[in-house]
Amino acid sequence: MIPQEFDYSAPTNLQEAFQLIADGERKVLAGGMSLIPLMKLRLATPEHVVDLGRVPDLNHIGDEGSVIHIGAMATHHDVETSAVIRARCPLLAETASNIGDVQVRNRGTLGGSIAHADPSADYPAALVALEGKIRIASAKAERTVPAAAFFLDPFTTALEPGELVVEVLVPAEAGSEGYRYEKLEHPASGFAIVGIAARIQKSGRGIAMARIGVTGLGPHAFRALETERLLESGAEMEKAVASLGEGEEANSDLYASADYRRHLARVHARRAIAVALTRAS
Amino acid sequence: MKIAGAHVLAVSQERAYALLQDPVVLGKSMPGCDSLEQIGDSQYHMKMKMMLASISGLFDGTVRIADRNPATSFRLIVEGAGKIGFMKGDGLLTLIPVDGGTNVQYEGSVEVGGTIAAVGQRLLDTTSKMIIKRFFDKLSAEVSSSGETTVTSTPSSTITS
Repeated sequence: MIPQEFDYSAPTNLQEAFQLIADGERKVLAGGMSLIPLMKLRLATPEHVVDLGRVPDLNHIGDEGSVIHIGAMATHHDVETSAVIRARCPLLAETASNIGDVQVRNRGTLGGSIAHADPSADYPAALVALEGKIRIASAKAERTVPAAAFFLDPFTTALEPGELVVEVLVPAEAGSEGYRYEKLEHPASGFAIVGIAARIQKSGRGIAMARIGVTGLGPHAFRALETERLLESGAEMEKAVASLGEGEEANSDLYASADYRRHLARVHARRAIAVALTRAS
Repeated sequence: MKIAGAHVLAVSQERAYALLQDPVVLGKSMPGCDSLEQIGDSQYHMKMKMMLASISGLFDGTVRIADRNPATSFRLIVEGAGKIGFMKGDGLLTLIPVDGGTNVQYEGSVEVGGTIAAVGQRLLDTTSKMIIKRFFDKLSAEVSSSGETTVTSTPSSTITS
């Protein structure tokens, strides 16, 4: 339970942080909710840790017209309780409120969570459903990657060595839109065995827009495009939901086999869509 | 944990069989492989550095090829141990000629133990699949960079605990 010795730097501005991580050999510490336990178990033995905790203004949450800007170091609690996020993209606030426990939400950060890219993390489902973008920067350059192209594999993202997640950009949800994050939580870890983030816009009796983000089911979060298409084209709920995860590889572990996970994903998708429909106006 | 799956390599059956047993190609294709040196007949010593998110570990192990049945099948036995745990994998690879290449089917089992298995049970399945996929992706890249024609590789795999 005691980590291997390591060097520690706490830069006080972003430029300094970029210089420190430029060679890609040093490990970045955000909230430490994944890295510190791994270091204590000595599964992770970084030689040098760069702590972003003292870089100012990385936890801003701002409303810039149709897009909400959230700093990478905003904690899950910040996201959950921010008046701006609750009003403009409530799906993200609801998702944040489902992460881990109070202690984790107080320390853990949005940027840290997505850079770690656990295949069962909650945020990715909401970010792909919201068609969010990740702003990435290094000492030399800056780029913006759509969430769907950011999560590549388990623990693997589009981040290159020397790059940091600096901000997450989320288009504001329409006021008439219904939303829901529905998950089955692993009883010990709190991670999503499956998690479904749904957004629905109604038109008359039909569905004008559906976005379904799925986490925990496959190697990384993805949008259930076929389910979305069927919902938008007026197909029955059962038929639309049955297409979720069809032909996709599903994860399997001692807790839930691939088939059971696929089943769970459909059950939770049905629940998420039902709630989103009642919330839509 | 049982693993099974298939990948299509865009080369003839004979060539695929040779490639899959070529220590240079294997060394380049195995994710994280630092070195692979022959220590006996069909036996190699392997040093690996696994990097997965925050988890990283050095592994020291052997790769052994057995039950050779030229051009159609062989067994690959991989054992490794490091500070964060140990693993043992045993798989039968069967090569079947198909249109535009060779379908490499694998079936076997992997045992993982130590800290990594105790703590990371939730992640063993997903990460094993990813490592196998990367191996075949890199192998396909090796095949195409060695000037041989390539067709798309179509992966599929199943893993049951």
